[in-house]
Parts: sequence; C-alpha cells; structure tokens
Amino acid sequence: MTTTSTPARADRPAGPDHGTSPATTPGPAGPPDPDAAISVRGLVRRYGSGKDAFEAVRGLDLDVPRGTVTGLLGTNGAGKTSTLEVIEGLAPATQGTVQVLGHHPIKDRATVRRRTGVLLQSTGFPGDLTVAETARMWHSTLSDPRPVDEALDMLDLRGRAKVKVSSLSGGERRRLDLACTLMGRPELVLLDEPTTGLDPESRREVWRLVRRLREAGATVVITTHYLDEAEALADRLEIMHAGRIVRSGTAGEIAEGHPSTITFDRLERALPDLAGGQVDQSTLGDPRTVVETVDLQTTLTALLDWARAERVRIDGLDARTASLESVFLSIADGAEADTRRTEPTSKGA
Amino acid sequence: MSATTTAPVDLTPAGGGTSGASGPSLRRVVGLARANTILLTRNKMTLAYALVFPLTPLLLLLASDRGDVTAGIGSVTNVLMLGALFPVYYNLLSMVVTRRDELVLKRLRTGESRDGELLVSMALPGLVVFAALSVLAIGVSSALGQPLPSNPVLVVATVLLTAVTFAGLAFWTAAWTRNAEAAQLTSMPVILLAVIGSLRAVLPEATHRYLDLTPGAALDLLSRIAWFGQDQDGAALSFADSFAAAGQPLAVLLGWTVLAGVLVRRSMRWEPRV
Repeated sequence: MTTTSTPARADRPAGPDHGTSPATTPGPAGPPDPDAAISVRGLVRRYGSGKDAFEAVRGLDLDVPRGTVTGLLGTNGAGKTSTLEVIEGLAPATQGTVQVLGHHPIKDRATVRRRTGVLLQSTGFPGDLTVAETARMWHSTLSDPRPVDEALDMLDLRGRAKVKVSSLSGGERRRLDLACTLMGRPELVLLDEPTTGLDPESRREVWRLVRRLREAGATVVITTHYLDEAEALADRLEIMHAGRIVRSGTAGEIAEGHPSTITFDRLERALPDLAGGQVDQSTLGDPRTVVETVDLQTTLTALLDWARAERVRIDGLDARTASLESVFLSIADGAEADTRRTEPTSKGA
Repeated sequence: MSATTTAPVDLTPAGGGTSGASGPSLRRVVGLARANTILLTRNKMTLAYALVFPLTPLLLLLASDRGDVTAGIGSVTNVLMLGALFPVYYNLLSMVVTRRDELVLKRLRTGESRDGELLVSMALPGLVVFAALSVLAIGVSSALGQPLPSNPVLVVATVLLTAVTFAGLAFWTAAWTRNAEAAQLTSMPVILLAVIGSLRAVLPEATHRYLDLTPGAALDLLSRIAWFGQDQDGAALSFADSFAAAGQPLAVLLGWTVLAGVLVRRSMRWEPRV
C-alpha cells in the first residue's frame, strides 16, 4: 500500500451539500501518525472491477489515539466493516496507507496480531464444541494468553464451560466470542457491533468491560448502531457516511454548530422572517414543515410572536436542540443526495 | 453477568509489543487439529464412514483363496482409494465448507493463526485416519494370508502423496461448493477421477495412456509395485527395480499434488459464498 492519499482526498465533499449538514470535519492530514494506535490515510476499498466495481470506502482518514475508546458510527453500508477489515488485516486496501500500532497490518501480521483482539460482527464458532473446548482451541493459537478459566470468568461463562456452543443463547455466544477476543491481553481491541443481540444486562456488562479495558490502558474501537452506547463509551466519535468520515469529535463537538430544528404541521400561509431560521426546502410540500436554525430561542420566539400577532394556530409544534442523534439522522437522510453526487453509477451506499 | 465475578480479572494489556515473534506454529496447528478431531468424533456417522467403510474391501479377502495376490492387490488398492476419498477428501471437503459457512474460518483468521496452519489443522485428522487405515490394512491383509509390503519406503511415499493430493483437491472443491449439502454433487468429479483409474483393466487399451495420468491409476500401480512387488503386467520386481518402476506413477501423483497445491492457492475461500 504505497499509493499516496492525495487523489483519494481530492474528491472529498467540499462542504454542506444537503442543507442540514454543517461543514465536513476535516480528517487528519499529513503522513500517518506512528504514535497513534491506528492511523489511516486516504483509504479506498473497492470491490469487484470494471462496470461492477463498487467503492465501499472512498478516501478515509482516521487517527485513533492510544488509550482511548473510539466509536465508529454510520448507517448500514457506510463502510464501517469494510474499513475495519482492512485495519484488522483481513483485506488489503485498494489505495491508501494503514498503520496499526505503527505497523502494516498485513506485512507485519505477526507483530500486529499478537497485540490485537478482534471481535467480528458475526460470531463464528463450531456448534459441536463446548465452551471450554472452544476457549482452549483459541488459547492454543495465542502467544501470551491469559488462562482459559480466567478468560471465561471475565465474561461469567465458567458455569457454562461444558455446554456446547450450539446450545448457548445468542448473548452467551457473543460473550464467548468476547472472551476469546480478550484472551490474548490485546493492546488494541476492535469490536464490531459487540452488543447487537445482547440483553440489556449483558450489554451493560460489555460497557463495563470496555471501560475497564480503557482504564487498564488498552485502545478500543467500537462500531455500534446504538447512539447512546457510543455516547456513553467513546471518548471520540467518528461518523462514517458513504465511505468517508464525515464528522469527528466528542458527542458535544459533533452536535455543536449543527442546526436545531423546529417542526410543525404545514400552515396554509407564508411564513415570516424567522430571525435566521430557514425552512428546509426539501420538506416543502410535506405535511410537516421543518425549520432549521443555529439560534433556537430567537427563531422560536420570532415564530411564536408572529403566530400570536397573526392569530395563527401552529399544530404539532416540536422544537429540539441538535443532538448526536439528530446529526446522525441528518447525515443518514443525506445518504441519497450524497451518493448520487459522488458516485452516479454506483449501486448505492 | 454480575460485576462481582468479573472484577478480579486484570485487563492490563500484555504489552509484549517489543518482540515481533509470534508463538510457535506447531502449537497452533496441534491445538486447532485437536479441536477438529473432537468435532470429527462428535459426528458418529462421519466417523464410521471415515474409519470403517474404507476397510470393507478387505472382506473380499475372506471370500477369495488365501494368498490370492490378485484379490490382495484389488482389496489393498481399494482400501487406499476409499481412504483417500472418505476420511481425506470428502470429510475435509464438508469440514471446510461447514467451517467456512459457520464463519469459523473467518473468525480464526482474525487471530494469530496463519492460513497455512488453518489448512493443515483441518487436513490433519483425515490424514491421520488415512495413515491408520493403511497400517490396519497391512495388519488385516497379512493376517488373511497376503504379503507384507515389499517396499515400505514406497508405500509411505504413496500414502503421503495420495493424502496430500486429495486434501488439496478437497480445499479446491470447497472453493466452488455452495454449501455442505452441495458437496454431495460437487465431490463427484474428483471421485470419478479417482475411481476411473482403477477401472483400467476393464477399459479399452486405447484409453490407458490417458488413464495412467489419473491419481487413481497411479495409486493402483503403486500399490502393485510397492506392496506386492509386481509391475503392471504382473512380473515380479526386485526391491531395487521397484524404485525404478515407481518413477512414472510417483511422478503422476506428484504432479497432482502440485496441481492441487496451485489450485488451493488460487481458489481458497475463507468466507461464505454469496
């Protein structure tokens, strides 16, 4: 992977294109950071070739500082798993550079793997082995593993040691998977949707585990569909859309500068000047009108003052400050427009 | 999951980053092969097919005259053939497809194990069963009045090359087998390839020069030469002559081994086919 990242970054979206989004957060620039746990520059991952080629990752830049928890968010098809697979060394990058713990994930495989713990999106263990047999099998493949019993205790699986994997509940299977992920005492832990399918109690236990991993000095990258989970666990969030990181920072930083929204049932008359508030043009004709504003209080006051003066009844009024969820949803809503603009022939994100 | 049970475990990373070396390859292969062996024994039907079925040709010896060499060649060759086809080829094929579709292979590839180690660990149980069958065939056939192998070195070479060839063909077949059920059909070409060579005697002579290039024919000829000290036409071979006579069929088997290796390298799939 020696290709420079410049061409891939050239076609990065230059700014807001779908109304609701503020400027794209610029990704890390310059050469890969050798001190970061993960440093990615201009990553492109393309499937297939010719007419059927599909670019799942389109020039991604990312730095994951050591000792932090990073949440990688994005809608289905945003390219999260495609990106993780390159970081995990399971697939080569089509273009760009990737460094994991300062090393190349494929060329320096042995060095990287013994220090990394991976949890894939889907658990993969033979159904006919027991929990203990599975753990022993995994144990035999590791350079410096913790004892099998300790790994099972860590996820409260000792009592299920003699049970076949096929008889475990989905949550138990996921915990066994996690026990194997952490068995090699990894410095860097990559968790692809670790809590999907877990009951709330198991989910909280995974959260506790992730927090303790960070306290112990490990670096954790976690993908999840649960925004509350990302907000609760991650020091830093990276939101992916259509193969790129489009927003990074803490949950607060991400919501900051993002417009608040006022929504109400469509009125049969023209709206006044709303002190900086703008009607979202894409909702014109919808039964609900959406107004976006960077100053919610002033715009809302202007709207309500006007309504009182004009004796207009506003039904279904809803006003909300930007949150991680609203930013995320606005990015997801922009999916279509963005995809059309950057990849007219692609099959979609 | 309660916090009390998880609290004492120390989650500090090992920090063993200074040493680049990975753990010993042998330990990984043995650990993985042990798990694959456990899985083989969990499936009684598969195990019976692997261990018992290939030995059935030895029953022929009960029905024929004691010391009848033609019957001996036939039954020993068929034991080796069935051993190559069942414990080695078919079991491995269905194992690879099942493990791939269960995402076990993908999961294992996220760890420290290398691809080659995964392949060897999957093939090992079948190879060990095949070797054990060969030893059993020596014991049973000699108890039933057949000679001991006249050239044990060649027998070992034949068993090894055959095993590796059919293991390679199993990985290759798995690459284009959609799921474990489809293996019943996709295994047919290789089974045919193995069996057709042993039909040499009943097929027209014009076909022989092509048939001799199949692994089945090579195996058939090698068991004559190495085990019974006879050439193709039944003439006795000295120990020294047996090496020379084995050259051609060994080269054929070696060719198949290399071909199988190339096919595996080119076609191996680690994730379910979509």
